[in-house]
Amino acid sequence: MSALSNTTTPGVAAAAEAGAPDLSAIARPPQVLNNRGPLWVTDAVCSIVEGKTPLWWYAAISVSGAFAAMGGACILYMIATGVGVWGSNSPVFWAWDITNFIFWVSMAHAGSLISALLFLTRQKWSISISRSAEAMTVFAIICAGVYPAIHIGRVWFVWFLFPVPNSYGMWPNFSSPLLWDVFAVTSYLTVSSLFWFAGMIPDLAVLRDRATTKIRKFAYGIVSLGWLGTARQWRHFEMMYVLLAGLTSVLVVTVTTIVASDCATSVVPGWHATIFPFYFMVGAVYSGSAAVLTLLIPLRLIYPQLKDLITPSHLEKVGKLLLMMGSCVAYVYVFELFTAWYSANPFERGAFLERLTGGYSWAYWTCISINLTVPQLFWFKGIRTCLPIVFVLAILANVGMWFERFVIVTTTLTRDFLPSSWGEFHPTIVDILTATGTLGIFFTLFLLFIRFVPIVNMSELKAALPGTQPHGASDHSTQEAR
Amino acid sequence: MSSTLHQFHGHHLPFCGSKEEPLYAVGSRFDTPDELFAAVTRLTAAGYTRYACFTPYPVHGLPEAMHLPKSILSFLVLGGGFSAILIALSMQLIPTTLIYPIVVGGKPLDLSALPQYIPITVALTLMIAAIVAVTGMILLGGMPRLNHPMLAWELFAKCASRGFFLTVEAHDKSFNMAAVTELLHTLGATDLIAIHEEAEAQKTGKSSK
Repeated sequence: MSALSNTTTPGVAAAAEAGAPDLSAIARPPQVLNNRGPLWVTDAVCSIVEGKTPLWWYAAISVSGAFAAMGGACILYMIATGVGVWGSNSPVFWAWDITNFIFWVSMAHAGSLISALLFLTRQKWSISISRSAEAMTVFAIICAGVYPAIHIGRVWFVWFLFPVPNSYGMWPNFSSPLLWDVFAVTSYLTVSSLFWFAGMIPDLAVLRDRATTKIRKFAYGIVSLGWLGTARQWRHFEMMYVLLAGLTSVLVVTVTTIVASDCATSVVPGWHATIFPFYFMVGAVYSGSAAVLTLLIPLRLIYPQLKDLITPSHLEKVGKLLLMMGSCVAYVYVFELFTAWYSANPFERGAFLERLTGGYSWAYWTCISINLTVPQLFWFKGIRTCLPIVFVLAILANVGMWFERFVIVTTTLTRDFLPSSWGEFHPTIVDILTATGTLGIFFTLFLLFIRFVPIVNMSELKAALPGTQPHGASDHSTQEAR
Repeated sequence: MSSTLHQFHGHHLPFCGSKEEPLYAVGSRFDTPDELFAAVTRLTAAGYTRYACFTPYPVHGLPEAMHLPKSILSFLVLGGGFSAILIALSMQLIPTTLIYPIVVGGKPLDLSALPQYIPITVALTLMIAAIVAVTGMILLGGMPRLNHPMLAWELFAKCASRGFFLTVEAHDKSFNMAAVTELLHTLGATDLIAIHEEAEAQKTGKSSK
């Protein structure tokens, strides 16, 4: 049988033919449905990029582009006028800017986790979804990155954040968690973009080879850097991939930890808690898994060829990840309340009593009611495998997570130690349009990604299909990374 | 160098690139990774060292069969990471202890306060190590590269994802056109071709096949 055929023979069936015991009961679900072979994978994935641009794409990018442009206009207006156009004011100096920053940067984490950590642990099911999950990561960090720079007010002083030798002889405060944040987010954006792009080089070369127009050939030729797929190139490539996966896995944990330190290292009641890094981490993967589901379920509907690549079994596994992380989030909610009570600190107790019963309790109860129930529904296989329900639940989960960020960041600040410095926060239209603007940026980038880049990691997937590796070669599950 | 057409089994061997330019390699295509694997084993046994395999995905065991050394990328990344630690620590400690100390609440800034320098050190180490990993992969893999003699071979340039290609390069010390072509043929290779270097003026993708 030719290795590069349109179909493959499932390993289990082959083993059964050879007289081996029937292993179908413990066999893993197939990586790709309908015995699709490597050639089919190439055609299916490339056809999304090579086909005629569909009408819905133009419609969708017009809408998302309009929102993004509106967000951009609001940012320009804010820069030209001052942060007073936002609703943030004493005592709520961090409002939707930091809420949205944490919301986006957290959402990014599931992408890194799926592509890096699941690659390191040889979870082959993640191959089909890793590319789009990584894209989600990169775009979510870009959306997150919008806020830290502009929320400082005078944007032209943003270089103060970086240790640039200057004529004032002035240096940033390296002991400040806010500066750690700058480095964490910069390094997260750099590493995840590199991971995403470098992993894509062989697939971009496939698009270059298949290109029919001069412009496409030139563009894909430039971005694929002259990749030929020699054994030597693959050897370095595989080494790079495993190293980047390792680095990214560490990054997933450190970035949320540092972002959580923004709050945890302060003395504000409700923020000053050692559980915060874990709290942000599990919340991040929970909301990110939900975002992956939100993006992939419609994508499969629009491009039916993806149904064999991104199988219900893959989505179910993301659902299980969501369940696990959502349960961790529930644990933290309970534990947070317990710690506040057990601390016997009147300010800490007051902060949480305020959350439960105060003026913003509606936000807290929205967050709690969604995040305690939605993930728990994923215990049921019937719900986990019913994609329309999963889609709705995934959107709900992200709404719940946005409210969690809002409760943690914004409502905590409305109550300070002294009643004289208590206040309220009301978003302005600029706040709202900037927030929807980041949504617009995110979806615009994702639509561009669908249209111009192979959305499934073809080379990694082909290497993992049954029958595509030489029979004589030793088992390489442990040697791939050499 | 070779201005005459190469002969094979009484037929002209197809060629690509410019006939007047020196021969770069003999190219061949295999249908399955197993055949490629067997061919590589035979070529290595026959003493060839300058040959290359082009595969649409990483074929496990192939680098070992080709006796390719372990990628040195991991050492480069380790080196990059260690230098990043030094860069990050000095970037933070020199300003905070010597040039511009910001003392808050009398708290120390020197090495006894090391934990507060760890987050930035970790972030920078990961970032620089990742940059080294990607640039290292690109440079060690001979990239970026605008053209390659292989791309003059239309079959390869258009269908690299549809087969397993093997070239034996002309500057291999045991290279012999007739012997190499015959060996590849017996190993089950199809689409044998003589790949010449391209003339300066020749455009990519123009093949006389």
